[in-house]
Amino acid sequence: MDSPLHHFELHPIIHLSLGGLDISINKAIIAMWIGLALVFGLFMVASGKGRLLIPGKLQSVLEIAMEFIQGMVDEFIGKEEGKKYFSFVASLFFFILTCNLIGLIPGSYTITSQIAVTGAFAVGIFLMTLVIGFSRHGGHFLSILVPPGIPKVMIPIMIPIEIISMLARPLSLAVRLFANMTAGHTVLAVLFGLAMTAPVWIGWMPFGFTVIINGLEVAIAFIQAYIFTTLTCVYIGDVIRLH
Amino acid sequence: MSESNDFRQGLGIAFRLGTEMTVATLLGAGMGYGADHFFGTKPWGIVAGVIFGGAAGMLNVYRAAQAMTEELASAEENEKEEQDQNNTPDKDEKS
Repeated sequence: MDSPLHHFELHPIIHLSLGGLDISINKAIIAMWIGLALVFGLFMVASGKGRLLIPGKLQSVLEIAMEFIQGMVDEFIGKEEGKKYFSFVASLFFFILTCNLIGLIPGSYTITSQIAVTGAFAVGIFLMTLVIGFSRHGGHFLSILVPPGIPKVMIPIMIPIEIISMLARPLSLAVRLFANMTAGHTVLAVLFGLAMTAPVWIGWMPFGFTVIINGLEVAIAFIQAYIFTTLTCVYIGDVIRLH
Repeated sequence: MSESNDFRQGLGIAFRLGTEMTVATLLGAGMGYGADHFFGTKPWGIVAGVIFGGAAGMLNVYRAAQAMTEELASAEENEKEEQDQNNTPDKDEKS
């Protein structure tokens, strides 16, 4: 019997190396390519006939999704400021959502269950907020480390606290998505292992639970993609407004 | 604010607050441990790290909760204003 964490292991399918760097193609990379192709293909198909005034089924679904993200960006970044970041936030949302959903197909791979992937997203977003902050406010951006209206005695204590709370943002962003995905798939693997090893007269019970939890995982895939993008918007909005 | 909007905001907050505090504490502890390793100040780095990290976590959660209550209050005000606007013409008609 395999361990429930067995399906998270990655083995290279095609061995490649570039200047000593291992860039072998494995299941996760293929899953990521499929995710990219799906998002790109979906929008190409939807806009292939041109944007119709009376939208078809696919176009209306995508329009509702886009309006939903637009509302999020308007709320957390601001109507005028948000326009610049809308395309980034929307691509992030659709990519994470697609990758989460691809992982639910048996035999495929959830790339968001690798902390390297979610960590890369989070660190990228963190660096982006730093660049936005410094380019908009210059050196004055450092005042984000000193909350307004605190007594001078508290400043030496508040600065390390604020630095930790700033650095905790990308970490919590990465850990939340990774942990939720890994935990969900581990639970599925454990329950399915129970269903396969138990005799049939009791084995139907864990099998039923895998079905239910699969449904829950679909909901979690949407919620986690939503939270990841919401928090991205919140962080971008924070550095733009500066308190 | 529509009902679905409230629902997704609630879910966002629910998933957000839990990890926020844990991660900040762990990060503070990790930074303290690193400081101990490099400066040889065992055990004081990790002690200070956990305290500062815990404080940062509390601060993050407090801020998120504060933003949440502000949003709630503004939403309630909007609702009240809408109700007032709806009510006033009725009264005028009656008088």
